[in-house]
Amino acid sequence: MVKKPDISVKFCKLEMENPFMLSSAPPTCTCEMIMRAFEEGWGGAVTKTIKLDKTPVYDLDNRFGIMAFEDKQMVIFENIEEVSKRPLGTWLKEIRETKRKFPDKLLVGSIMAEPKEEDWEELSRAVSEAGVDMLELNLGCPHGMPERGMGAFCGQRTELIDMLTKASKRASCVPVMVKLTPNVTDIALMGKTAEEAGADAISAINTVLGLIGVNIDTFEPLPSVDGKSTFGGMSGPGMKPIGMRCVAQLAQATNIPISGIGGITTWRDAVEYLLVGAQNVQLCTAVMWRGYRLIHDLVDGFTNYLSDKGFSSTSNIIGKTLPRLTAWSKLNKDWQVVAHVDRDKCISCGLCYVACRDGGYQAIKFEQGKAAEVDEEKCDSCSLCTLNCPVPGCITWKRVKK
Amino acid sequence: MSGRTHTAVLSPQERTKNFGTFVSNLDDRTALYEASRCLMCYDAPCITGCPTAINIPEFIFRIKSRNYYGSAKVIRSSNIFGGECGYVCPVERLCEEKCVRTKLGEEPVAISLLQRFAYEKELPRGLVKFEKEEGKKRKVAVVGAGPAGLSAAYELAKRGYSVTVLDSNAKPGGLLLYGILPWKAKRSVPESEIANIKDYGVKFVANKPVAKVRPLLKEYDAVFIGTGSNTATRIGIPGEKKEGVYQAQEFLASVARYLLKEGKAPDVKGKRVAIIGGGDTAIDAAMASLRLGADRVYILYRRSQREMPAIPYGRQQVREEGATFLYLTSPVRIATRKHGKALTCCRMEFGPPDASGRRGVKQVKGSEFTLEVDVVIIAVGQKPDEKMLCAFGVKRKGGLIQVNESFATSIKGVFAGGDSVNGGETVVRAVADGRKAAEAIDKYLARKRRVN
Repeated sequence: MVKKPDISVKFCKLEMENPFMLSSAPPTCTCEMIMRAFEEGWGGAVTKTIKLDKTPVYDLDNRFGIMAFEDKQMVIFENIEEVSKRPLGTWLKEIRETKRKFPDKLLVGSIMAEPKEEDWEELSRAVSEAGVDMLELNLGCPHGMPERGMGAFCGQRTELIDMLTKASKRASCVPVMVKLTPNVTDIALMGKTAEEAGADAISAINTVLGLIGVNIDTFEPLPSVDGKSTFGGMSGPGMKPIGMRCVAQLAQATNIPISGIGGITTWRDAVEYLLVGAQNVQLCTAVMWRGYRLIHDLVDGFTNYLSDKGFSSTSNIIGKTLPRLTAWSKLNKDWQVVAHVDRDKCISCGLCYVACRDGGYQAIKFEQGKAAEVDEEKCDSCSLCTLNCPVPGCITWKRVKK
Repeated sequence: MSGRTHTAVLSPQERTKNFGTFVSNLDDRTALYEASRCLMCYDAPCITGCPTAINIPEFIFRIKSRNYYGSAKVIRSSNIFGGECGYVCPVERLCEEKCVRTKLGEEPVAISLLQRFAYEKELPRGLVKFEKEEGKKRKVAVVGAGPAGLSAAYELAKRGYSVTVLDSNAKPGGLLLYGILPWKAKRSVPESEIANIKDYGVKFVANKPVAKVRPLLKEYDAVFIGTGSNTATRIGIPGEKKEGVYQAQEFLASVARYLLKEGKAPDVKGKRVAIIGGGDTAIDAAMASLRLGADRVYILYRRSQREMPAIPYGRQQVREEGATFLYLTSPVRIATRKHGKALTCCRMEFGPPDASGRRGVKQVKGSEFTLEVDVVIIAVGQKPDEKMLCAFGVKRKGGLIQVNESFATSIKGVFAGGDSVNGGETVVRAVADGRKAAEAIDKYLARKRRVN
């Protein structure tokens, strides 16, 4: 019998039973919620961002929006919610209780304050001493908070990343992780700045600034708060490519552990994040949509994947794809293929034909009721047809020497 | 996304209470979901499956983009009875049969349901109107206000001709009103589309059966005949012409007249009804009998379930409603008794396949048995009224009006299309014929104009 793979991970020398955490967001609004998630099987959780009592926080009614396909297949989720409104004292009490009940789970305290060293020190000291395993500095929230000099306002300025990381490190008795915003030109630079300032880990990404939609009947931007709106934070499946790109860039540029975040819904997404260098992953949107129960398939699917692939532990796959990520100029120009249609599988829908005709190189011949045919001379191997074809395995690549 | 959107159907007990439609339509959500199943094939086979060649992927895409009125416009530009066809087309053997989704082992896209959806969205805004060409002096007479005639009338009126439709019934619609019962399509569907055709300036003359065609050419520059195919084919068994034996077409027409408050319902209440035939008309007659309160309904078909031409959906519905199917059963004679009829039948068995590959059936010796019934309805086929066509004076072939590829009959200036030419096809085929014939008439009159 094959030995069951070990899916536990070490993150900043802290043991986690599995690499799946809840990110700092509504699913971690209270420790009652966090404890329920732990009972369900989550390996760790980052609290919703805790602030000092003197920092005012508001929440608007109607603060979410979605972009979805038919039948509410949500692709992108938007929020314009602020950090936790709850008093610091409540959080500290709950953190103590949670750690007492769940000593083996990774509990991370997310914090945010105005860009003043003394405030970050005070908050870091209080929360770390309450018993969290780690701190996460929220330098990424892109809506609301930056207007008051917090969140992404700090994460978009290297001098503030440097100053606040150092302040937190001075006061914290536990490792410090810096959560970065993708709404910057060069996230690697931000990651390096955090590393040089002494951060023990990086988490990325926070939400991507966007505008989820406009109601074309009423002309209201969405989500509409009494007729008006603001730009908000995008998350969900559609954000995965941005998150993965950021994680890979950070993994290439830094030497500290990365907690991968952004559009993870299933264990497959998580595997992709681990392959490009994340050491654990955080989920939020998928859990907001379907609940804590997602952890069961995350754990089971991931375990089966490792076992099917013959890996004995999570560490086997971390960063495995990174060496294959290179500059465009370093990609092999001599590797040549052409599209090939499997005549037996072709259903004669003509989708490849019209895509190639109007969006490609006019290399596909098609007649209703017959299988599509590729003119290998004309095929420029762009892959549009392969991706567009509704039949799995019908259009594939054939290697050729040109 | 592979599952076809299924719509709620009333229970058999509920739906047999009246003649109302029993399939509910898609709502915004399910329509969007179903529309998203369309692959939007290039040169889509479903279009070739539609006699009126509606650009199906285009109208479905417009539902997906929630351009509902635009969707209706696509449908109506090809088929002026797009709403009615959405309700009554046997899509299982037309567009949906060709749907490429089936090649993926999935249910076809529910094209008819989407077409109905587009119609229902079009209705409140007013049916789509196309620009009418400038008035032409030429006049065209259309004989028969069924789908072929009305389609031709619309196409000609839109092209600027002065069109008059003559019909023997009290209301225009022909088969749409007097042949198709409203569980398939609510009466308001054909009525709205006929009103729409009237809006193009088409004139109707009701209760006006046409005996001879030639005289019409004195008043009109061209004539279109679309008198349909509404006479039943006889089986040729003893007792077939006796009282209590209906021809299905005549039976359904009297049910329709009753529903239109133009006459009395056929008396089948509490009675035992035997229907002979395996087509959609037989199913319709069975459904009508059940709704009129028949005590028992038998459907006799001489071949097996597999060969039955009626669409499976209708067969399933009527079976659920209580009809009994007797397969491989053929009528021998109908005897009139003091109370009711004795319908003598025999069992059939398959013989070797004939030249066309279809297996022949023959009687099983000594298998005769008698079915005690009150009413017999014969639904083994239909044909145009031979006497009427004979009086028209147009050349005929096999009981049908003979036309060339331009729908022109043997009389110059007289055209024909629909069931009177093809023997009894679908509504959509008749609509397509009417349109094509109108195009031919337009060309004919343009030529005539030049010559004069």
